[in-house]
Amino acid sequence: MNLKKQFLILLITGIGAFSGIKAQSDLQISKVFEQYGEKHGVTMVELTDEALDGYDFSLFKSITIVNNDKAADFIRRCLAKDEVGAKKVKQVVVNGIPTSIYLQLPRKGNVYRLILFNETFKPEQKITLIYIESKTDSENLLRLILKKK
Amino acid sequence: MKLVKKHKMTFGEADALIEKYYDGFTTVEEEKRLQAFLSQNGLPERYAAEQAIFGYFKNRKSKQAFTLRPYLKWAGSVAAVFVILVAGLQFIQPTYASYAYVNGKKITDLDQVKVQALNSLNNVSGKNNEVKQTLNDITDNQLIKQQLDVFSGSGE
Repeated sequence: MNLKKQFLILLITGIGAFSGIKAQSDLQISKVFEQYGEKHGVTMVELTDEALDGYDFSLFKSITIVNNDKAADFIRRCLAKDEVGAKKVKQVVVNGIPTSIYLQLPRKGNVYRLILFNETFKPEQKITLIYIESKTDSENLLRLILKKK
Repeated sequence: MKLVKKHKMTFGEADALIEKYYDGFTTVEEEKRLQAFLSQNGLPERYAAEQAIFGYFKNRKSKQAFTLRPYLKWAGSVAAVFVILVAGLQFIQPTYASYAYVNGKKITDLDQVKVQALNSLNNVSGKNNEVKQTLNDITDNQLIKQQLDVFSGSGE
């Protein structure tokens, strides 16, 4: 194999490795943001390294989807996979369907990661999925988030 | 066909060649013959110095086959690729940009983006005491204490 070919392989491998550098890329819920983020009836937010009303996030991603059963099912399936290895802080099940799930994911390096999911039906079906990365301990962050209300 | 008879070097010829070698007048062919002679086993002790000299050169040549140079070259290439990638990514994706999409429309105004973020946080924030109760169960220490209390209570 000549030097050029070896260099090219090395370059492609390097690019491949760097493309998966985001911490949420290993999660199924990243597909939700990809598939539904820019659609009608959807609000998607991405904040990075921002101080948001007292919260310190290194990454905040949220998606709110209105009146979309298919999306809700898809999110629940993704969450079921991401639950593996995560600590389930809260789960509310209504008629056998999880409508609220809070997950503390295993720490990745020095990054704490949280997934929050909630579904309401009144006045309309509204699904909210939030993914948070923070240097702050995820338990403290969770307390902060829920007390802010 | 011309037959070439292999001539075995005598000690006298070897001595003469060694002297010629030290004088710097030997040809490549003569040095090869001398090397072949010195590589023999059971030579008299007086050839030890010359054997060491030729042996040293032989060893050095064989060691050169395992030099680190090609590996260092590769390490340099890898380092260069790494630096280029990091630098490139810094230009392409300096940070995650803050933005929002509302009904497919992109918003980059940071204040508006933050408002949307707070709205989504409000959607998942607890609306009843159930959440607070759940949070109380987060700490493993508390959970363990509760479980131990159950056991200590059953023993009474």
